[in-house]
Amino acid sequence: MTAKQILMIENLVKHFPTKRGVVRAVDDISLHVSSGDTVGLVGESGSGKTTTAQCVVGIYPPTSGQISFDGSPIDVAFSRRSKELKGKIRIVFQDPGSSLNPKRTIKQILSVPLKVHGIGTPKERLSLMSHLLETVELPPGEYLYKHPQSIGGGEKQMVAIARALATNPRFVVLDEPTSALDVSVQGKIINLLMRLGDELDLTYLFITHDLSLMRNVATRVAIMYLGKLCEVARTEEFFRSPKHPYTRMLLSSIPVVTRQEESLKPEKIVSKGEIPSPVDVPPGCSFHLRCPERKGICSEADPETRAMDDGRLVRCHLYEHGAAKAGG
Amino acid sequence: MSEPLLDVVDLHVGFRIFEGYLSVLNGVQLSVGVGERVGLVGETGCGKTTTVKSILRVLPMPPAKVTDGQILYRGQDVLRMRRRRVQALRRHELSAIFQDPLQSLNPVFTIGTQLRDIVKDSAIGQGRRLPRRVIEARCIEALRETGMPDPERIMTNYPIQLSGGMRQRVCIAQALSTHAKLLLADEPTTNLDVTIQDQILRKLDELVDEHGSSVVMITHSMGVVRDLTQRANTMYAGSIVETGETKQLLEGPKHPYTQGLMASVPKLTGEGISEGIPGRIPNYLDPPPGCRFHPRCVHRMEACSAELPSLFEIGGGHRAACYLYGGEA
Repeated sequence: MTAKQILMIENLVKHFPTKRGVVRAVDDISLHVSSGDTVGLVGESGSGKTTTAQCVVGIYPPTSGQISFDGSPIDVAFSRRSKELKGKIRIVFQDPGSSLNPKRTIKQILSVPLKVHGIGTPKERLSLMSHLLETVELPPGEYLYKHPQSIGGGEKQMVAIARALATNPRFVVLDEPTSALDVSVQGKIINLLMRLGDELDLTYLFITHDLSLMRNVATRVAIMYLGKLCEVARTEEFFRSPKHPYTRMLLSSIPVVTRQEESLKPEKIVSKGEIPSPVDVPPGCSFHLRCPERKGICSEADPETRAMDDGRLVRCHLYEHGAAKAGG
Repeated sequence: MSEPLLDVVDLHVGFRIFEGYLSVLNGVQLSVGVGERVGLVGETGCGKTTTVKSILRVLPMPPAKVTDGQILYRGQDVLRMRRRRVQALRRHELSAIFQDPLQSLNPVFTIGTQLRDIVKDSAIGQGRRLPRRVIEARCIEALRETGMPDPERIMTNYPIQLSGGMRQRVCIAQALSTHAKLLLADEPTTNLDVTIQDQILRKLDELVDEHGSSVVMITHSMGVVRDLTQRANTMYAGSIVETGETKQLLEGPKHPYTQGLMASVPKLTGEGISEGIPGRIPNYLDPPPGCRFHPRCVHRMEACSAELPSLFEIGGGHRAACYLYGGEA
């Protein structure tokens, strides 16, 4: 790959000690993101995708492992991160209804990152904010003095995006930015995000549970299950031939709308069981309880992540031999 | 088609609130045949849940008010029935599954207590008193049918001890334990993950087949409608804008709104995502006159803002409420 790696996550672990035991939210994941990529991090609820993102943004310091951004390590507590770094990595949350302060006007909301990061003089800020709103296709004259509750869900999310862009970030974490919205609004937001990604040269970590959406926006897809990555691959290859049994189960469970799509789904795998609690993770491969292709070894040893010859990473006992041969 | 089981005719429902009058349902037409599965698709706030609640007659009145229309169940108008008759109807004939199982289950009683009550009262309504053993056995059977592992233990659990998928299974067990003739499923899997959604819907499908119930499946997912229903209806801002066989509707959507919705759904073919539909659902305090979709519509004509189009026949039972397909003024 020619593009340079902007974010490197190495053996990231995040555990939360609770009364009932240790919640292993993120359990040893490694993920590299190249500059300009859109990486889709997909998984069911409780698989640890949001925790991963929050470690990247700095909301939680990792329990162990390294995260480096642009070559320098950033796995320190949020309060010890430099302001410059905080401006470079931004996040857009899932529900704009609760991430925007209802008592403030959009102008006040947008002015916070500008003030904190000392961007522009107080006089310049008004035009900066208008410009931000224009970038997200909201007419500033109409929206600057409105409160979040008086605008629609899609528009709120656009304000949240504008706020994230206020500091000229290079890396934006999108934590399910459209899952609270209707499909007819989703299209607009996604297209806006993709256009901004090109124009402002942003790199996205896109967290979602919607694989069909990822097919259309991501350059690479990473599947997460119970704190671990099952499969990481370029989007095209990922959807052409999913390898990990969990990936195939996910893909075959998606309800689709056309016959053409139906033919793209892998052979039906009847899904069963539910994601186990991250407090007591099953021994061996964490997926073995639900896996249609489990073997004896699956309940004993946790498979290692193997690189296949097309650059895809799979963590499953099924591919240990094949990958070993192919990888040499 | 034989006599429909449920026939909603020109239903108008509104809410009187401090700011004024919200006219939400604006002439809903919906009919469900015996043993038929009908899908109702639409965005948040288009009146899907209000329709279901009107059918069950559980809308709080006031503030809600039915201003016009009929809800015919086996030819009888639910809206004009005596209260006792409605209760009897809810006990044996109608059944509902709602979106959020945590809200439809009582948090302070065990699953067992809640299920037993349903089975017991349903039998009492039919004039029979069941021995405790029989009730217990039926509850466990109902839970087992939904694919629940270890139903005996689940009976002693409280709702918070179960996961989202499990709770929804309990709700399905409740809804099907009385062998209802018509099941109203209001976004039963919206809060669940795809693999769980797949399991639940598959189970629901099997059980409905077994019991021979009719289903109204309310959802905002086109994919779910495609998998589960024979006929589909698209709803926008309080009225049905298109109706037809699910296949016809999804493969050749006619109403501009349905077309827009279909184009907005991200597809596995990876052809990119359309811009969606500009604008948003109208304010019910002051809805646009005529077709409520016209301010967002690309094909709007003069007639559109004058009068609400009725459902025009396109062919083979496929009908759309749009002046593109008839009724030139």
